[in-house]
Amino acid sequence: MAKLSRWLYSQLRVIGATARKEFIIFTRYPANAVLELIEPLMWLTPLYFMGKAFSAGGHAVGFEGFTGTSDYFSFVMVGAFMSSYIAVAFWGMAYSIEGDMILGVLEPNWVTPANRVSMLLGRSIMFALLTTVQSLGVLLIGALLFNVKVSGDIFIALLIIVPMLIAILGLGLGLAGIVLAIRRAQTAIDMSNWVFSQISGMQFPVTVLPKPLMAVALALPTTYGYDAVRSVLLGTNPLLPMKQEIIILVTSAIVMCIVGRAVFYAFDRRCRRLGTLGGH
Amino acid sequence: MSTVNSIEVENLRRVFTRRAPRKLPWRRNGGGKGNGPGTTGSNNGGNNRPKTTVAVDGISFGIQSGEIFGLLGPNGAGKTTTIKILCTLVNPTSGTARVAGYDIVREPAKVRGSMGTVFSGERSLYWKLTGRENLEYFAALYNVEPSKTASRIDSLLCKMDLEAKANELVERYSTGMRQRLAIARALLANPPVVLLDEPTAGLDPQSARNLRDTVRSLRDEGHTILLTTHYMAEADELCDRIAIIDHGRIIALDTPATLKAGLQEMHSLEVEVDRAPDGVLDELRSLPLVRGVESYASDNGLETWTIRVLTEDSRQTLDALLDLLRASGDRVLNMKANEPTLEDVFIALTGKSLRD
Repeated sequence: MAKLSRWLYSQLRVIGATARKEFIIFTRYPANAVLELIEPLMWLTPLYFMGKAFSAGGHAVGFEGFTGTSDYFSFVMVGAFMSSYIAVAFWGMAYSIEGDMILGVLEPNWVTPANRVSMLLGRSIMFALLTTVQSLGVLLIGALLFNVKVSGDIFIALLIIVPMLIAILGLGLGLAGIVLAIRRAQTAIDMSNWVFSQISGMQFPVTVLPKPLMAVALALPTTYGYDAVRSVLLGTNPLLPMKQEIIILVTSAIVMCIVGRAVFYAFDRRCRRLGTLGGH
Repeated sequence: MSTVNSIEVENLRRVFTRRAPRKLPWRRNGGGKGNGPGTTGSNNGGNNRPKTTVAVDGISFGIQSGEIFGLLGPNGAGKTTTIKILCTLVNPTSGTARVAGYDIVREPAKVRGSMGTVFSGERSLYWKLTGRENLEYFAALYNVEPSKTASRIDSLLCKMDLEAKANELVERYSTGMRQRLAIARALLANPPVVLLDEPTAGLDPQSARNLRDTVRSLRDEGHTILLTTHYMAEADELCDRIAIIDHGRIIALDTPATLKAGLQEMHSLEVEVDRAPDGVLDELRSLPLVRGVESYASDNGLETWTIRVLTEDSRQTLDALLDLLRASGDRVLNMKANEPTLEDVFIALTGKSLRD
């Protein structure tokens, strides 16, 4: 037991030290830090005007038939909020491997006795915290400037996000392993992040998708995360009963963590076997 | 010095198999370069067969506790690959190695916990962190006890003469300071074994001298040190024992003194000429009694060249040497006979220079 608590403490220390390091480096580029915090507004503003153009008397009637709400912009805003967590997995975890390769610091990290998964978790947790600050800021600005109305229980919505975030971190681990192997992954990450967010229903209800694409959407845990959070915050019609969506999210979190870890270590072993670790 | 081996390497071999990048279709008919030594396969035209390179070819050695052991060889000899295998970044194709008693394949985490590694080049640190922040981060990764972290970092910064710059960003450090910080990082957990890959590469002479003093002090504190270098003088000055490595194979292993003693019957002639003597080197190599020849730009700022000739009898070689140089139009500016050095050992063993 003492051994386990010592191990746990050392892992938490690695996670904390990595998150702290990432945060310090983030603040050493102040202009970039400010721009990253306000960037989502740039993406969302056109959608506000588009939603306005397609609505009559403030109500998007056709949209309401699919979702149960006529407030398109609030729907998109919550979608963007959730999508920023998907970006944590793709950019905060997977791409950070490529960043370390470019900087030349992957090998010095990899020759320490620290657990590699803990190092990656530290980075992601820092990015997840930054994302939370960024998203809450965007929601606040949305409420002030664009009349976004969130009527549901935010605490329950955050509880739903937790298993989705864990599932996404599992996905990020697997992706980090792939980046370790393919090395130049910026475009692949950019594309897959975008596709993942869109198919999960960031900007539209997945019920409008043709059947093959809808099948893909329903296979992604994030679809249920988006759907459940929107149902709680905006009162939209859920795809499945809430209890079932939460069971799917929790199950996905467990499965994706196990699979993601296995994939990451498989690629790590492959890179050591091929001797490609650290090269870029 | 005790006789316990901190590092044991047995018949270690590493083969890299890489598929060469495909040529663009309209460039496939052009003549491709041939494969280098130690390689098989082809990367010509549409035939994209994998190319095999034997980077480390069945090397064996043991390093005693508290010893400075040097891997000396030219670029591409297999030194860095050996270091990468020992620090568990690359798996061996075959053979075994143990560091501090732990097997590098079966117990990699324990191996990493028993050693500090300093990589060649200065980009192995976070430039946007200060020196102290770098060490704080890596102290957590090396599992240095939290209550002792601050004092350990302070003592290492002091030891590496970085106290005054501890709170400055690493991007403002000189190359020598970055290298010292990298060594401080490797020592955070006070590991029994330290691996140094080309520690003085790119340093000015004064910084290199200071760094060699640091390496010696590490040995005096009881650390076992494996360093790679292609600087003969550095290996000669620092190492208790040296393995000379070429094309992935150890071709000699002993103390510097013993290696040089093997050449006591040899003479080393150094001739300074007014231009690059490329045309005459092969003829010099074919002279009777000559065991090796190398040439390089003289380090005197005068744009002259130096030819080193290792011969079994300088009296008999001298005339033929001068005749050949005169016949080729090279003007002899200076000449001297030297005691054999490690460079001569390398030339005698391989017939070529480390600079080749």
